[in-house]
Amino acid sequence: MKSKASGFTSFLFVLPYLIMFTLFLVIPLVYGIYISFHDWNLISPIHPFIGLENYSAIFTSGSPENRVFLNGLKNTAQFVIYSVPLLVIIGLGLAMLVNSLPEKIRGFFRTAYFLPFAISVSVIAVLWLWMLDSNSGLVNQFINSLGMDSIPWLTRLPFAWISLVIATVWWTIGFNMIIFINALNEVSEELYEAADIDGASSWHKFLHITLPSIRPIMIFVVITSTIASFNVYGQPYLMTRGGPGESTEVLLMGIVQQAFQLRQMGSAAAMAMLMALIMIVISVGQFLVTRSGERKEKNHA
Amino acid sequence: MRKTKILNIVFASILAILFLIPLVWMVSTSFKSDFEAIGGGTFFPQEFTIENYTSTLTSSSVPILRWLFNSLFVGFAGVTIVVVIDSMAAYALARLDVPFKKVLFPLFVSTLMIPWVITFLPLYQQFSNLGLLNTYAPLILPYSANAFGVFLLYQFFRSFPKELEEAARMDGANKWQIFMKVVIPSARPLIATLAIFTFMAIYNDFLWPLVTTNTPEMRTVTTGIAIMQQGSFVSSYGKLMALTTLATIPILIVFLIGQKWFIRGITQSGIK
Repeated sequence: MKSKASGFTSFLFVLPYLIMFTLFLVIPLVYGIYISFHDWNLISPIHPFIGLENYSAIFTSGSPENRVFLNGLKNTAQFVIYSVPLLVIIGLGLAMLVNSLPEKIRGFFRTAYFLPFAISVSVIAVLWLWMLDSNSGLVNQFINSLGMDSIPWLTRLPFAWISLVIATVWWTIGFNMIIFINALNEVSEELYEAADIDGASSWHKFLHITLPSIRPIMIFVVITSTIASFNVYGQPYLMTRGGPGESTEVLLMGIVQQAFQLRQMGSAAAMAMLMALIMIVISVGQFLVTRSGERKEKNHA
Repeated sequence: MRKTKILNIVFASILAILFLIPLVWMVSTSFKSDFEAIGGGTFFPQEFTIENYTSTLTSSSVPILRWLFNSLFVGFAGVTIVVVIDSMAAYALARLDVPFKKVLFPLFVSTLMIPWVITFLPLYQQFSNLGLLNTYAPLILPYSANAFGVFLLYQFFRSFPKELEEAARMDGANKWQIFMKVVIPSARPLIATLAIFTFMAIYNDFLWPLVTTNTPEMRTVTTGIAIMQQGSFVSSYGKLMALTTLATIPILIVFLIGQKWFIRGITQSGIK
């Protein structure tokens, strides 16, 4: 009897979280699937059930849904492909640079590179719009001072992508750097000392000690950077408005437009489901690929 | 050896300047007249003016103080809810005899893998059905169902020494008293990390407050700036920069104070 009462009071500790979890995660999850099976116009009170029609429209070549989804997916994929390698490599590079500095000044540089991460995307976007302004922006002023013509950073390809990627890397790289700094600090000193005795070069040490030791963190950073890049919205929405044309209109912009401008909540929900599915498949895929690589290496050794 | 060290410092310094220039330029532009800002040419204002700030702070179409209040209010409210419910749940699941806890913890943590885009539209529809759009409810409540905090604190509570709880129990303390007086104080650094993380996420969130609010009074700082940037401030970079500077000050203070915990917290969180 006593243990039952005890279990009940313990359960009370979990109850508040469980309530929030149910209201704001479980119910929307189920509700979202439900919406995606209906012709759900935001202004109409009646939402007829249409089965998989929202999904089939997305896959019907030539339909408006198909165009929005494919264009958005293509552009999002481009952003992911451009930004993720930079976010990982520069993040690791900065972490190694900071670690190579004398201990006294490390904190300052770490803060300097990490600082932009604290700022919101709309501030970032406004700031970089101003930096990249074709007339009085700092970047073009600098380019002009070198005797070159101004570059239309936000209105032409490939510059629009370059601008979005630069702003994003500047904004978020600090977070990856911190994760890498922590990982580097846990690599065993003894391995480096042993390699020093063998006369290994720094490149050799990086390749054969550092990289294998931080591999799990590497997987984590690659996956989180990919997910974050997939969710890109604020930068293209505010900086390029999806342009030039529709070339930087990312998937999330398409979904939001479908839901709130065209008021087609049903097909927007179906697009969101597909987007989430793609994200899950990609991150599980990245995890498995890097894992199996690890196993192969172990078998070789 | 020495030479590479000096080269590294030089390189790091150049990078630091590049990283900080946009922010310095933001503040610098905010003190320029529109004429000077658009004319370009100089980095620092030739004629220093605070006109951008005074006109922004007094303009009735730019309720920046209201936006700051909204952002700070929803940030603190969200953090309070998250810290309270996450620490209670994490402690109970890690240390107490909760029924079904073997199911509940994996269930909570597995939701970390669900992309938020799935819940975004149905959540909007839920708040719309309840007539709660454009209120504080959607700006605060949905952030509370984030398993990150439960996961972070669970790891810590698992390795928390049992003796301390035992001693308190001997003194006649009940579960709640042990939790409040023994467990919570020991988890302070991690709770601070969770609080800062959550605060930054809520304060800086963009798309969700953008779609769930629609009047100037209900905007947060982040969404307010986006509206101004597309609206009446589109041609005045001086005023825009004054606005973004004002928006950045609170979060920068939180960030600089919390940085130590933040960094230590990421290390402890078991992201390995």
